[in-house]
Amino acid sequence: MSSDGAATARTALREWILTKNRDLDQRQLADDTPLFAQRYLRSVHLPELILLVERLRGQPVDVSDLTAGHFRDIHTIVDLFITGTNDSEST
Amino acid sequence: MKQTPMQDRLAEALGSLHDTIDRLSELSQRGYQNPYESVEWPAAVCPEDDWFSSPELLSLYGTPYFDRLDEPTRRRLAFHEAANFFSLNIHGEKSLMEGLAARLYRKDLLGVARYLHHFLDEENKHSIYFGGFCTRYAKIYRSRNLKFEAVPERNLDDFLFFTKTLIFEEVVDHYNRLQAKDVRLHSIARFINHNHHVEETRHLAFGRRLVAALWTACSPDWDDGVRSDLRGYLEQFIATSWREYYNPDVYADAGLPDPWQLAEDAWASPAQREHRRVASRKCIGFLISTGVLEGTPADVF
Repeated sequence: MSSDGAATARTALREWILTKNRDLDQRQLADDTPLFAQRYLRSVHLPELILLVERLRGQPVDVSDLTAGHFRDIHTIVDLFITGTNDSEST
Repeated sequence: MKQTPMQDRLAEALGSLHDTIDRLSELSQRGYQNPYESVEWPAAVCPEDDWFSSPELLSLYGTPYFDRLDEPTRRRLAFHEAANFFSLNIHGEKSLMEGLAARLYRKDLLGVARYLHHFLDEENKHSIYFGGFCTRYAKIYRSRNLKFEAVPERNLDDFLFFTKTLIFEEVVDHYNRLQAKDVRLHSIARFINHNHHVEETRHLAFGRRLVAALWTACSPDWDDGVRSDLRGYLEQFIATSWREYYNPDVYADAGLPDPWQLAEDAWASPAQREHRRVASRKCIGFLISTGVLEGTPADVF
């Protein structure tokens, strides 16, 4: 995945998270903001988030061994599922 | 140990369900069925010759994509969407059975135990039918549902469990009710929808009474923060439940290109927004009338 693709994914994820948190000031949402720890996202958001990630990368995500850590922040999601620079998806 | 005011209110609210429990339990006993004898499964089915879902209920209906599909492709899509619908029910009923079993004979819920037995039994039988179809003719579509959080305090957990059950079943029943009487459908698809509708009617009657009772008993002790939090959670649950009807895996199996974009476009289309609004109207109306929700969830419609 190109750096353009990663940037597009970051923007799409950011926009989606902001639609789920309409009271959140976008300046408070950084790439390393802990999404679950801050309760901007909860498990009930995951089916939609996984669909978005699959659309951004153009292939399915194997959900069988995923944990909250895989969705810790925007940076982790992009590294893990979009650019593939983080190999913990398979661990 | 002395009961808290919430426990007193809960006992009183559950006590008021007595007549409903008796009536529904008698109906369940009278309609008791053997899922291994109630249906004759055809050896094979032809997805491009028969309808397995009503075309008007398909996730692409009313979009430009649907207009461009030829008739065999529409039927093939309807077949895979039927398998997806039955799969959603299997995943939903697995969580439901888990939650019902955990609450069976719990001291404070003893008054509803008689009906929980029927609820659990009937959900298991529904899954036998849904699984029977998917494993014989199609497949069980995967769920993207995962759960990471700790369970909330018990009354809140009970309330969310039964409210989510009600939301899920209300939407499913919209499809069951219409497809049960759609003479274009293959007889096996009509049977599964009809059978589910008949039993879900009882579950929905029970669910509405119970959710209203739990809300009346428990919500006075929940502060504005808890109420706002649970409303946000339920609104997202409604969005999530609906999203699963737009499954890219289904579009890929039906041979349609760019399945994720298709799912996104179908979700956002005006015709599908209106479809979701109509199908959810009864459920949302009930949740607003009881005070659980304050308005229609913006993200879904």
